Amino acid sequence: MAPATENHTNTRRPLLTLQQAVAEAHRCLLCHDAPCSKGCPGGTDPGTFIRQLRFYNLKGAARTVLRNNPLGGTCAAVCPVESTCVRECLRSGIDRPIDIDGLQAFAVAYGRQHGVRALARGAARKEKVAIVGAGPAGLTAAARLAQLGYPVTLFEARPKAGGMLRYGVPPSRFEEHLLDADLEEILGLGIELRTGSPIQGDDGAAHLLEQDFQAVFVAPGLWRSYRLEVPGSELKGVTTALEFLADVHNDAAKAAALVKGRNIAIVGGGSVAMDVARCCRELGAGRIYAIALESMTELPAQPDELDQALKDGVIIKPQCQVARIVPLRGLPGVAGAGDEVAGVEGHETEWIEPGKLVPQNARPVEGTGFKLRVGAVIQAIGQGPTDEIGKILTQVKKSGPRWAVDEATQATAVNRVYAGGDVVRGAGTVVQAVADGKRAADAIHALLDGKERA
Amino acid sequence: MTTTPTLKVNFCGVEFPNPFCLSSSPVSNTYDMCARAFDLGWGGVVYKTVGPDYDVKITHPSPRLNALHRGIDRVIGLQNVEQISDRPTKDNFEDIARLKKNYPKNVVVSSIMGLTHANDWAVLARQAQEAGADLIECNFSCPQMTVEGTGHKVGQDAAIIEKLTSITKGACSIPVMPKMTPNVADMLPVALAAKAGGADAISAINTVKAITGVDLEELVPLPNVAGKSSTSGYSGSSCKPIALRFISDMARDQRLGLPLSGMGGIYTWIDAVEFMLLGATTLQVTTAILQHGYRIVQDMAEGLLDYLADHGHRSPHDIIGKALKNVVDPSELSHQTQAVSQIDHDKCVGCGQCYLTCRDGAAQAITMNEQRKPVVDEDACFGCLMCKHICPVDGCISYKIVPHHLL
Repeated sequence: MAPATENHTNTRRPLLTLQQAVAEAHRCLLCHDAPCSKGCPGGTDPGTFIRQLRFYNLKGAARTVLRNNPLGGTCAAVCPVESTCVRECLRSGIDRPIDIDGLQAFAVAYGRQHGVRALARGAARKEKVAIVGAGPAGLTAAARLAQLGYPVTLFEARPKAGGMLRYGVPPSRFEEHLLDADLEEILGLGIELRTGSPIQGDDGAAHLLEQDFQAVFVAPGLWRSYRLEVPGSELKGVTTALEFLADVHNDAAKAAALVKGRNIAIVGGGSVAMDVARCCRELGAGRIYAIALESMTELPAQPDELDQALKDGVIIKPQCQVARIVPLRGLPGVAGAGDEVAGVEGHETEWIEPGKLVPQNARPVEGTGFKLRVGAVIQAIGQGPTDEIGKILTQVKKSGPRWAVDEATQATAVNRVYAGGDVVRGAGTVVQAVADGKRAADAIHALLDGKERA
Repeated sequence: MTTTPTLKVNFCGVEFPNPFCLSSSPVSNTYDMCARAFDLGWGGVVYKTVGPDYDVKITHPSPRLNALHRGIDRVIGLQNVEQISDRPTKDNFEDIARLKKNYPKNVVVSSIMGLTHANDWAVLARQAQEAGADLIECNFSCPQMTVEGTGHKVGQDAAIIEKLTSITKGACSIPVMPKMTPNVADMLPVALAAKAGGADAISAINTVKAITGVDLEELVPLPNVAGKSSTSGYSGSSCKPIALRFISDMARDQRLGLPLSGMGGIYTWIDAVEFMLLGATTLQVTTAILQHGYRIVQDMAEGLLDYLADHGHRSPHDIIGKALKNVVDPSELSHQTQAVSQIDHDKCVGCGQCYLTCRDGAAQAITMNEQRKPVVDEDACFGCLMCKHICPVDGCISYKIVPHHLL
């Protein structure tokens, strides 16, 4: 018997009240050289915004969050804080760490409710910048460049801005109005957003430099889910995490039709796999399996995501591999084509070379075969750029499947073209993409500002 | 589109970039400390009190501080037996000169204290002016000076205040601001004496004479200085009500009419606005800095700016003294409006603290129902609102005006 849907713990937390937020800020030790602030990959500064809350500088707290990270309202809901700022909190040495994400969410909400405009357009400059992809990296770079006064054009292939936050993160993880509010302030800087405008064709991104743009930041994201190369992967009911999550956002009935009342095999043990598991639970799936090559301690999902999955009754099968997806056809009593999924077959695995967590390094362990009866298989084994995106910057150097950039500036091998976000780092966190956007914007400013003065 | 307000204030002809100043204390002891404070946004400093060093060597008792905690709140008040600056007079004035040279837009107030000779005040005032100080603060009020003829006993004696203010004023051309002790029943006589001596402004309050605790085993009050202690100066957030009272007393008195520099328990911009609404033009801070560092000025300044902007003001001068018209003698308070407390059961967590205070300290008007929720008997309640003050949930208990039923 699968856990009932209503037992699912929604991890959206209620917003702290003013009284709760100020009380929590009073617990903060207001550390010198706050370790929490150093623990944020995106350069968010909890040490300052918590101090501001403590001293009732409530609007100031919102400004601090949003000036460091224009997606600060959204990040407060989706950030893996237990492996960043909260992990560094020294209050843990006395009792328990400060609720940093709760305070960040409060600060932004308070600011929004009280008319804080944290971002302002800088003195107008003439050099135009093009940004490819309106996800977290592209939006952050756009906001920063607009604050510096540059005219920015943001090219987005999809109907709305937001990238993975809009189309990839399960709706139950955060309220979409948080993203809309962050976007409203960012776009309010006078950024030209062209949705439904994919950059296409050979060297399409580089060609933007010939269209009056002085610099280009490319952050298109990874929108192609990798697929298993096993017998049966063409069967009906086999899909990918990205397709499934997009359906959850855009066509919930279709997503529900796939999983409701069925057992589900999710392949993968990362954050995306856990997001898929959460959605399956919400949509009324039966038994949910997450099958991963990694051991329990190696799983790439964040600890809190794993906790949530376990609470949701997800059955994690670590150190396991799917070898075959079994069709209905051939089973007793099946009429018709029978090209739907009936189950998966697999076995346990071990690493040939310990600690090298790549599929090529896994081998089956004899005598460990298993069969699971499932009605759908959802593959969450990683993402790569779509074929179209693969073409738009042919001169870019590669590091494995990733685009290679200078770590300090996000510069690619192509002059005046910068890149960031998942296309550079693989499927990362929102806050890492934000950091890329900030670095790229600063480098583009250094380039264009230096040029103007020369 | 509204214009961003300014934080600049004009105080006896001296322009401050913002009203926030270090007060004369350990936080303003050296050039480096004051420079760091300026770098972080403080508008002015009142440099730690300088005395003449030709006949008295200043040293401090140890330990020099004791803090009052309450529950998990640290330092709700702070007692000190610190003396004036122990550094050579010459070094201090050189530091003041260097501060003015490197921070010409910030304000440096030189706090001075004569010791054994009345003429010390004149000598120090001249030295302060030569060093480039913008103002002089006369320290008439330190409660624990160990040198005879100094400290708050000076500040309690109107005749001495008038004389020493006059000597100081006669020796310099920059504004002179005597600092008042709160260890008086009424500050007006001494403040008016300072005015008679030529004072251009008044600062208040210095610390309150107090004992913050007693060591139960050693039987020695705190701070325990080699087995003994003294009543000495108490500061911090628990002093704010006393400071606000003296500031409003002086601001309301038509005879005085001098600009005021307020201090005593200022931690946040909210405290700052309260001081300004009751008549202070500039603000001084020490204890909050001792507890949290110079960085807090950023929140004071940003919060004050937001307050001014939100209320359509252009400058701090728009709010100075704006609450004074609403301060009256207790005999002038209306008794026509009466209220009862109103408890929001949706917010109530059922602790029953309101029930206890009402039963044991008020009207026995609250009972607890079967759901552990307090119910107010409106006929019995006499509206003291002690229940509201102790309720741990913001906004749970409110003040509901009712037709007057007692008169």
